[in-house]
Amino acid sequence: MQEATYLILTSLAAGSQHGYGIIGDVSSISGGRVRLRAGTLYTALDRLKADGLIAVDREEIADGRLRRYYRLTPDGERRLADEAARLHANARAAMQRLRPGLADGIA
Amino acid sequence: MNKLERRYRRRLACYPRAFRRENEEEILAVLLACAEDGQQRPGPAATADLLRGALRMRLRPPGSPPRTVRAAIGLMFAGAVAQVATLITIIVTADRVRAAVAHSYPGLAAAQHALNTSLTIDYFGAGAGIAVWLLLIRGLIRGRNRARIAVALNFGVTSLSLAIAISDGTPTWAPADLVAGIVFWLIALAVTVLLVTGASSRYYQPAPRPVTPWRGTFGTM
Repeated sequence: MQEATYLILTSLAAGSQHGYGIIGDVSSISGGRVRLRAGTLYTALDRLKADGLIAVDREEIADGRLRRYYRLTPDGERRLADEAARLHANARAAMQRLRPGLADGIA
Repeated sequence: MNKLERRYRRRLACYPRAFRRENEEEILAVLLACAEDGQQRPGPAATADLLRGALRMRLRPPGSPPRTVRAAIGLMFAGAVAQVATLITIIVTADRVRAAVAHSYPGLAAAQHALNTSLTIDYFGAGAGIAVWLLLIRGLIRGRNRARIAVALNFGVTSLSLAIAISDGTPTWAPADLVAGIVFWLIALAVTVLLVTGASSRYYQPAPRPVTPWRGTFGTM
């Protein structure tokens, strides 16, 4: 799973969000390292929708403009949990080898 | 509609129509929300990102294609690049080949003529091959089952022409030509195998939807 996809799914894990909200959330989750642009975001959202990992939650009109909220589907939750577990196991293995005591910090 | 919005809309026009119908207003809202106060032009990075997104959307098969289909289309693109590279190599090295033949057979006009004819056939053959290949990619990206069948037929023709050329021992066959031919044949083989797998077949030939009984309301009008 690409990092942008992982971060988008993570930003939806706590609840539904609209496009602009996802951009801000991904930036804060990644400590400002990943700044999604609209083209990248909507290409990813389209793929995630097609794969059944996210779905449209609701639509609103704010300041005369369309605002669509997205949420994780049960499949999306499962995929994100699997990916998070995989990354966690990898990070733990790396920390254990670097300095055994540090691994407890990410247990 | 202000200038910035008009300019963003012009860039969004590069996306496929179906995608635009579904998402244009929403993306525009995000783009305008991300814009700085007083900004009148989309920045170069935002433009590049939108164009990259548009290209990706245009090159993406509809729905949720299985890995085999994604891999096959990726290989098709690699094949197209290889074919274009081969054609460019033929064009760039033509003068050197002509000079070498002229040097080896001075005064032998027939050799030069045969070489020119062979090169011309190569140009047209490679050009036509690339055009067919690109049409096949376009069909596959649009989810056409006919394109999948055409890929298999194209593989048959490629195999036959390679076999004839090898058994013929055509004097114009250079080792580089043979290697390029075999590499391309292997790509066509891999693509064909990927596209006849069960997952690919289910993607290109979805099972017909079961007929649901009509739940109309006779006589309520």
